Amino acid sequence: MIELIIIMALLLIGYVVGTHLEKSHYHSIKERETELNNIPAIASKVLPAEFDTCETTLVAGNVVISVDYFKKFVAGLRIIVGGRVSTFETLIDRARREAILRMKEEARQLGADYVFNIKMETSSISKGQKNAIGSVEVLAYGTAIIRK
Amino acid sequence: MQYSNPEIPEGINTTKEHPLKEFAILSGGIIGIIVLVVLSLSLLAEMLAPRIPFSMEQELAARFIDKTEIESSEEIYIQSLADTLGRQMTLPEDMSVTLHYVDDNVQNAFATLGGHIYIHRGLLELMPNENALSMVIAHEIAHVQHRHPVIAMGRGVVIGLFLAAITGMNGDRFVGGLVNNAGVITVLGFSREQEREADQTALAAVEKHYGHVSGASDLFKAMLQLEESQILQAPQFFNTHPLSTERIAIIEQYAAENSWSIDAKTTPLSISLENPL
Repeated sequence: MIELIIIMALLLIGYVVGTHLEKSHYHSIKERETELNNIPAIASKVLPAEFDTCETTLVAGNVVISVDYFKKFVAGLRIIVGGRVSTFETLIDRARREAILRMKEEARQLGADYVFNIKMETSSISKGQKNAIGSVEVLAYGTAIIRK
Repeated sequence: MQYSNPEIPEGINTTKEHPLKEFAILSGGIIGIIVLVVLSLSLLAEMLAPRIPFSMEQELAARFIDKTEIESSEEIYIQSLADTLGRQMTLPEDMSVTLHYVDDNVQNAFATLGGHIYIHRGLLELMPNENALSMVIAHEIAHVQHRHPVIAMGRGVVIGLFLAAITGMNGDRFVGGLVNNAGVITVLGFSREQEREADQTALAAVEKHYGHVSGASDLFKAMLQLEESQILQAPQFFNTHPLSTERIAIIEQYAAENSWSIDAKTTPLSISLENPL
C-alpha cells in the first residue's frame, strides 16, 4: 500500500509541477522566437554569392531537459501497448526550439544577420539504476553570417 | 535574396490530447488487462492444482521440512487436537496433517504443502480457551483439505512469471510497482475467499467435536483488540485475510444459520505455557 501511495504522490507532484514548468517554458520560447525572428535560421548548405564577403563563424546552442515523473510514467505504460508517446513530444519540441533559440542568441550577440546550414543533434541521457534519470539533450549549430 | 523564417503554427509537433486523458486510458486499460489475466490464471490454478496427488505434495514438502526434532509437550497436545478434529472433518484416507510448534513470539499459524501446520507460541499465548485453539487448528486443516497450499503455490508460480515478464520488459520501476500491485491485490481477493471457506469448514468441525461453537470466535476477538491498538490499518483489499470484524460476524451468522449454540461453557487449555500473556 505504501508503494502505491508513493507512486500517487510522485505522479501528482510530477504532473502539477511539470505542467507548470512546461507552460512557462513555452511562454518564454514563444516570446523569444518572436524577438529573434529577425535572424532567420536557414537549412541551406550553400552560401549565396551575395554573402561571399561576409564574415562567417560557428554558433551553437545546447540544452538538456529532463522528463518529469508523470511523463515518464505514462511513457512507461505506453511501451507496454505501443503507439505515440505523446507525453515526450512536448519535451522534444521544447528542447529543439530552445536549442535553436540559444544558437540564435549567440548569433545576435555576434551581430549576425543569418544563420546558415543549421543542424541538430539529439541524444538521450539515461543514467542510474533502471535509467532513473531520463533527459534529452539537443544541440543546434550553424554558420552565422555577419555582414561587414 | 531575402531570407526569412515564417512563424510556425503552434502545436503541430505535439498532441492536442490532454495528458491526463492518456494517463487514464493507459493505466485503466493496463490494470484491467492484468486483473483479467491474473483472474483467469488464478481460476486455472484453482482447477488444476487440486489434481496433483497429495502424496506428491508430501514428497515435495519432505525436501524442506525436517520432522526429526523431539516433540515438545505443546506439539503433542496440538497434534492430538488436530487428530481428533481431522477425524471429525473426514479427511481423505491418503491425507494426514503434521503439527509443528514454533517457540517464538510471532502471532501466527499457517498450513503449508504436505499437510504441515505450524503454530507459533505467540498465537498460542493469545488463546483464551481450547475452543479457540481448536478453531485455529481446524481452520488450518481445512486449508489442507481444500488443497489451498498447493493451489497457492501453483498460482504463485504462474502469476509470478506473468508479472515478472511484464515488469522485466518495462524499465520503469514504478510502472513495475503498479503492475505488481494490481496483480497482487487481485490474488489477495482469492486468498481472502480461501480464508472464508476455511473458516466455515473449521466451524463445522468445531461444532461436531464440542457440540457447540462457543469460543470459536474468541481468538479473532483478541486479534481485534490488537488490531485496534495499531495506528494505521490497511483496508481489506490489501490484506491476505478478511478483517477480524468480518470473520467474527461470519462465524456468528454461520452459527445462527445452523442454530449452533454459542453460549455453552468453553473448555480450558490443558497445557500451561511458560510465559502466559
